[in-house]
Order: sequence, then C-alpha cells, then structure tokens
Amino acid sequence: MRNLTIILGCGRLGSSIANYSSQMGENVVVVDPNKLSFEKLNDAFSGITIASDSTDIDELRDAGLEDAKEVVITTGDDNVNLFLAYVCCKIFEVPYIYVRFDDPDKGLLIQGMPIKAIYPFQLSLDRFNLLRAGVEK
Amino acid sequence: MKIVIAGGGPQAEFIVSMFKDKKNNLIVINPSKAEADVLLKRYRVPVYVGKPWRRKSLEEADAYSADAFISLCEKDTDNFATCLAAKQIFDAKKCICVVSNPKNVDIYKQMGIDAVISASYLLGQSVQSETSLASMLKTLSLENDKITMIEAVVLSKYRIASLPLKECRFPSYVSVACIYRNPDVIIPKGDTVILPKDNLLLVCAPSDQKKVMNFIRQEKPKAEVILSKVVDKRKARKATKE
Repeated sequence: MRNLTIILGCGRLGSSIANYSSQMGENVVVVDPNKLSFEKLNDAFSGITIASDSTDIDELRDAGLEDAKEVVITTGDDNVNLFLAYVCCKIFEVPYIYVRFDDPDKGLLIQGMPIKAIYPFQLSLDRFNLLRAGVEK
Repeated sequence: MKIVIAGGGPQAEFIVSMFKDKKNNLIVINPSKAEADVLLKRYRVPVYVGKPWRRKSLEEADAYSADAFISLCEKDTDNFATCLAAKQIFDAKKCICVVSNPKNVDIYKQMGIDAVISASYLLGQSVQSETSLASMLKTLSLENDKITMIEAVVLSKYRIASLPLKECRFPSYVSVACIYRNPDVIIPKGDTVILPKDNLLLVCAPSDQKKVMNFIRQEKPKAEVILSKVVDKRKARKATKE
C-alpha cells in the first residue's frame, strides 16, 4: 500500500516539509547522505531518517520508494534532482512527485511528465514583482 | 559526422585522438579550464569551457543535431542530465555516457539514454559469458550487448560434423556468418559441408546464446560416430595412395 511521504534531501526546504508533514500525521521518511542534516528536524518529528546515497537504486528501494504515495526531491544538486525525479516517475511510478530546480531550464526535460517542479528563482522573481507593484507588502 | 564530447579528462583526450583525423566535426565541451587547455594544446581542437549539462553551454558550443553525443563527466547524474538535454533539447541522434555505478547501466537505458558504459558492468558481462561457455567457445559482444558472436569448434562427435549446412537445420535465431578452415575463410552456402575442426562464427542475440551452444553440441548417435570414423579413415587412406 502506498502510504509514505518520502523526502529526498534534508536541507532547509526538505527538513521544513518533513517537519510539517510529520505534524500533519503523515508517515514520513527522510533520506540524506549526511547524518548531521537530520539535526534540522524538530523534536516533534516522528518519521524515519535514513542516512544513505539517494542516487543508488537499491538504497531508494530500501527507503520504501515502492510504497511512496508522494516524493519531495530537494537535494542541493539539480542533476541529482532530475535523475531522482525520473527514477521516481519511470521506475517506481510514484503518483505525486515534487522536485526543486535552481535552473529553470531543467523544466524542459520534464515536460509532459507527471512531475511538479518548484523554482526558487521564479518564486523570488514573482515575489519581487508583486512587492514592486505594491500588490503585497 | 558531428560528434560532441562533453566532460572527461584522459577519456576525452582518447576519444578526441580517435576521431580527430577522420573528417569529423568535433565539438568539445569541458567544465575544467585546465583540461580544456590540455586538449587545445595537444590536439588543436576548439574546446568550450562550461558545464555541459547547462543549456547555455550547449548553445554556445552549437551542439545541435549531433550524430553522436558522448558524455564523460565524473558524476553519473551529470552524465544523465547532459545526455537528456542533448537528446531532448538539442536533438542528438545517439547519446552515449559512462557511469561509475554499474547498476545505472540498465536504469539509464530504461530512461532513454541510447548507450551506457560501465567498466565494472562490462567486466561482469564478459566474465559471465566466458564462464558459461566451454573452452572451445569464445564470445564477442557487439552493439552494446545486443548481438553476440560465438566462435565454436566443431568436434567429430557433433551431429553437424560432416553435414551440408542445409541439412544441419540451424534454428532461425542463429546465423552461420563464416567458417574458418585453416587457412581458408569460407562464406557458407547451403551446400557447404561442415567438417570436424572447423571454426564456426555464429551470430545471435545474447539471450539465445545458451540455446545455440546446446544446438552445436548435440552429438551423433554412437553407431553413426563409429561409421563416420571408418569413412574418414578410408578417405585418409585413399588420399595417401593418390
């Protein structure tokens, strides 16, 4: 049964999403090669942390990708994120995939795929334009 | 032929040296300025310094519609992203990349990369092929393991020995490409007789390799073996008298 929310990459964004999802009562698994990054998770976090290389297919399988209902990919490397998004979509057929890209051009490579991308650059630009237009304060 | 070589240290040098003199249009992209300088100095080819997985670098290098796009970056994921961009944005006809994790060979192919090369994977495949065969069978993998060429020595006890090719009834999944009968090379026709000690070069798919081996190794009924030995001896005597 697909009931896991898996976060790949436990930086500021990944850990915040993990904390929020855990608080919402979801079964959360966080994967990051660096154990120290799990210190960003708060004390109320009740999910599972796995320190492993998420670019290895067997490590991903061990993390429970086959049982994932959604995956959030937020490692610090766009190429790793692109690879993971493809693996989650084409190999593990995860229903909901969210990925962060610093380079907006990466979006061209996931066109037509059920992968939702987040671009911090685009979000910042949109916010700036809104602030400048005086729509938001 | 337009060939793009992305990333890589000594590997890029080797590939450049292979294709430089053969009227190819070589485009080299390397993220390292030092490596780019080496390639420029040694082989006098223009090198674009930039990350090959970035669209801008590929645009600047005019990497559109390459006949072959070879990605030799250090990290597997960089090679994946580079090949994907080459294929989907820059219309590369064939993308080839190297990987250090052998598990990625099948995964990358499944995700659209045409050819993926891993030293460990090739070593494993080679050992597997060699160990699955007897010493008198040699194999050669072609086209990224899609075609296998088997060299088989025909023993006198084999059913196919002393039979014309058309009577051997080779299965449809294998083809006899050539017969080496020292010192001659014979391109076989239906009436070509296969003799003991002939070296057969057989072409088949890797998945059919075992079935082909089993077919070749089928033995004659014992009475037939004795009879054929007698016939062979008579032929030998006749030849010495003549």
